[in-house]
Amino acid sequence: MNKNKEQLLNKRYKAEQRFRLYGQSAIFMALLFLTIFIFKIFSTGYSAFQKTWLIVPVTFDPELMMLEQNPSKEDIQDADYYDIALKSMADLDLNANEDQENELKRMVSYFFEKEIKNELLNDPNLIGKTKEVYLTASDDLDQVFKGNYPRDLPEDQRRVSDYQLKIFDQLVVNGMVESKFNISFFTNADSREAELAGIASSFMGSIFSILVCLMIAFPVAVLAAIYLEEFAPKNRFTDFIEVNINNLAAVPSIVFGLLGLGVLLAIFQLPRSTPLVGGITLSLMTLPTIIIAARASLKAVPPSIREAALAMGASRMQTTMHHTVPLSMPGTLSGTIIGLAQALGETAPLILIGMVAFVNTIPGSPMDPAASLPVQIYIWAESAERGFVEKVSACIMVLLGFLITMNLFAQIIRHKFEKKWS
Amino acid sequence: MKKNGVKMIKIKAKDVDVFYGKKQALFNISLDIEENQVTALIGPSGCGKSTFLRCLNRMNDVIDICSVKGEILINDFNINDKSCDVVRLREKIGMVFQKPNPFPKTLYENVSYGPTIHGMAQSKQEMDEIVETSLKKAALWEEVKDRLHEPGTGLSGGQQQRLCIARAISVRPEVILMDEPCSALDPIATAQIEELIDELKKEHTIIIVTHSMAQAARVSQNTGFFHLGQLIEHGSTDKIFKNPDNKKTQDYITGRFG
Amino acid sequence: MSEAPHTVKSYEEELKNLNANIVKMGSACEDALGKAIHAITTRNSDIAENVIQDDEKIDKYEALIEQQVVNLIALRQPMAIDLRETVTALKMSSDLERIGDLAKNISKRTLLLNENLPKNLVDSLNRVSTNVQKQLKSTLDAYLERSAPIAVNVWEGDEQIDDLTNLCMQEVIKYLKDNEKNLEDGTHLLFVTKNVERIGDHTTNVAEQIYFLVKGEYLEGDRPKGTEPIVTGEK
Repeated sequence: MNKNKEQLLNKRYKAEQRFRLYGQSAIFMALLFLTIFIFKIFSTGYSAFQKTWLIVPVTFDPELMMLEQNPSKEDIQDADYYDIALKSMADLDLNANEDQENELKRMVSYFFEKEIKNELLNDPNLIGKTKEVYLTASDDLDQVFKGNYPRDLPEDQRRVSDYQLKIFDQLVVNGMVESKFNISFFTNADSREAELAGIASSFMGSIFSILVCLMIAFPVAVLAAIYLEEFAPKNRFTDFIEVNINNLAAVPSIVFGLLGLGVLLAIFQLPRSTPLVGGITLSLMTLPTIIIAARASLKAVPPSIREAALAMGASRMQTTMHHTVPLSMPGTLSGTIIGLAQALGETAPLILIGMVAFVNTIPGSPMDPAASLPVQIYIWAESAERGFVEKVSACIMVLLGFLITMNLFAQIIRHKFEKKWS
Repeated sequence: MKKNGVKMIKIKAKDVDVFYGKKQALFNISLDIEENQVTALIGPSGCGKSTFLRCLNRMNDVIDICSVKGEILINDFNINDKSCDVVRLREKIGMVFQKPNPFPKTLYENVSYGPTIHGMAQSKQEMDEIVETSLKKAALWEEVKDRLHEPGTGLSGGQQQRLCIARAISVRPEVILMDEPCSALDPIATAQIEELIDELKKEHTIIIVTHSMAQAARVSQNTGFFHLGQLIEHGSTDKIFKNPDNKKTQDYITGRFG
Repeated sequence: MSEAPHTVKSYEEELKNLNANIVKMGSACEDALGKAIHAITTRNSDIAENVIQDDEKIDKYEALIEQQVVNLIALRQPMAIDLRETVTALKMSSDLERIGDLAKNISKRTLLLNENLPKNLVDSLNRVSTNVQKQLKSTLDAYLERSAPIAVNVWEGDEQIDDLTNLCMQEVIKYLKDNEKNLEDGTHLLFVTKNVERIGDHTTNVAEQIYFLVKGEYLEGDRPKGTEPIVTGEK
């Protein structure tokens, strides 16, 4: 009898230990995957925040630029920089033949002409003088410098020729290659050239979309929630609505994209590829999330508060507006932010309404075409160039940073403003 | 209170039936409540005493499926009549709940809320006065006068309940309904509330629902015993607790069922 | 008890225990009274001694009941019938204790009597004593059965005891007048007679308490109508 009891007890303890072990290993697995994921993104993405520059001596020869004596600002603006740009690259190897000169030119971004021009515009006194100018290295050399490029591939399988590598190595030895923080990643719009591509357009696109989404979804959802929770009679019709709101929250986002496409673009003729349409579409998606969050936090307001107000002779409206709604706001707001964070990460509906288009300008208003961060990730992940690989990870990092900030904000709101009752 | 030897009846309930959906919760309740007296309603859980209490300020209106039949006359005016304005009614009939439920606002806002929505003060000074007298009447003023602008939820349970009483009396109601006001309080806080009730009955008619028979015995002058939705017995408190007429009442107050 | 049992069993036990102690004390008193009368009429010193000794038992019962009552009030806060039960127990115990004391006093005086008593006097004393004994027994029955009518009967019967006491007193006075040497015994007998009458009064008190216990009302203010009023004003 006693022995049996002891055995039973042992068994129970063992079962408990086993169960604890399962739980711990589950958490361990989850953490492992998360760590791998984050490590992968950071290890491939961190280098995108660095940009490789070639420091090339440029001689601002007025003759080659077709400039006369004492040129005006406009003259400098309109001058021809191609020749001096080409020449300064060709000068890197004085023995180069024509093909090699071409290859030399391709060691920097196609943007190099403009970079030289900007240099002169900043300091017009440079005419006739020679200055070392920072030129953006081509995306491939950027990758070479960052050590991401497979040098041991046969020459015909890579985009960087042996000649270019040789010159580049010489430049590195001479200290003419430098790595600096990549400001242009944040200030440039998208580009076909990886070394120039930035997230400014998609970042602004995302912000505009979220703002539009917030301005539409929040008031509508909060009003709907207040009505349903505080005023609507409980009958079959409101039950039906409630069920359908929950269903709506489960509808795949791409369906909302189709809705946006079919209604907003086709019927209302709103401008395609714009954050306005994107925001409206996302707001449809966010609506049920916010309604559910708002209703939950309205429900969480203890009925005793409502009773107290009613018993004081407050009308239903006063009770709701003076007490219930303010008390539910922290919960509603944090639910809203989480809903917006979800919308922020949404890709499919935006692709359908055309926010996947290549946009190389930074949008100034919700009516301008723009991409969004997740779509940008999608676009870049599709691209073949090696330079985009790190951009994808970097963009994911930015997006994650954005989301984490928003969620943090939601948490802070919840903790700081949530009233403690009882 | 007796005037010329006649008991003044403040509230007269006549044949009140209450239904929750199809289920009848109160059967034929007829009860007279004397002015400036404390009337205690006792009975086992679910006997309908709280339901009856909530009929008196029409708090049952909040519940969709709840319907009330019969007459409840307050000052000879039937509050179940269509012409009765609920907001006006609740201004006259205050309520204090089981759990202290101050608004999560400052003490001052808690007390001034009622007078604000009923437009009882023309100026800040007037409002200050109302807040002060209400808190004084609720025997809370001395404890909180230096922190009127701190949240009411920071008070102890007993203080919160007195704050709720101050809030209820801020609109100078004629009747105060109390739904187990001490069930969440310790004995000292309970005693303070009971003392307060004794004080308040000079100006208000008080109806208190309580689970503690000892409390009913201590604070009330009249007691009604409810059982299964019926008013079994109603009479003076000392009669009910010394020698009730009804066997059920006796069994309940002596702890033989329930 | 006719009541349904309490939800709290230990409370029920305590009340039953109190009840039982009252009954035991009551029968001890009945016993003491019977023996004391027997001792004085038959001049039996042994029995008289016995009664004197047994009074200690009755005193102990009183102390015990008092303690139980205080405990009940402090710990159980009895209400309604239970409250009346408790309070009545306290009052009954003090009346019963007095009855015990008076019986003891009768026995003490029995031991001091010298002469043989005249038959008339003994008969007269016997009559009133038997009546008181009957009253006491009825009272205890009333208590056991929670019967208000029996209690009322006892209450009304007190008048008769007073009458019988007066007759007995007259006998004693006659006995005193008869002979000067009867003075000592006669004085004792006066006290004995008075004691018996006092026992009757205490019994009536107990009956009143039982009436209050059962009805929750006091007997004096609200006399039952149907029965013939024998007692007027005097208690």
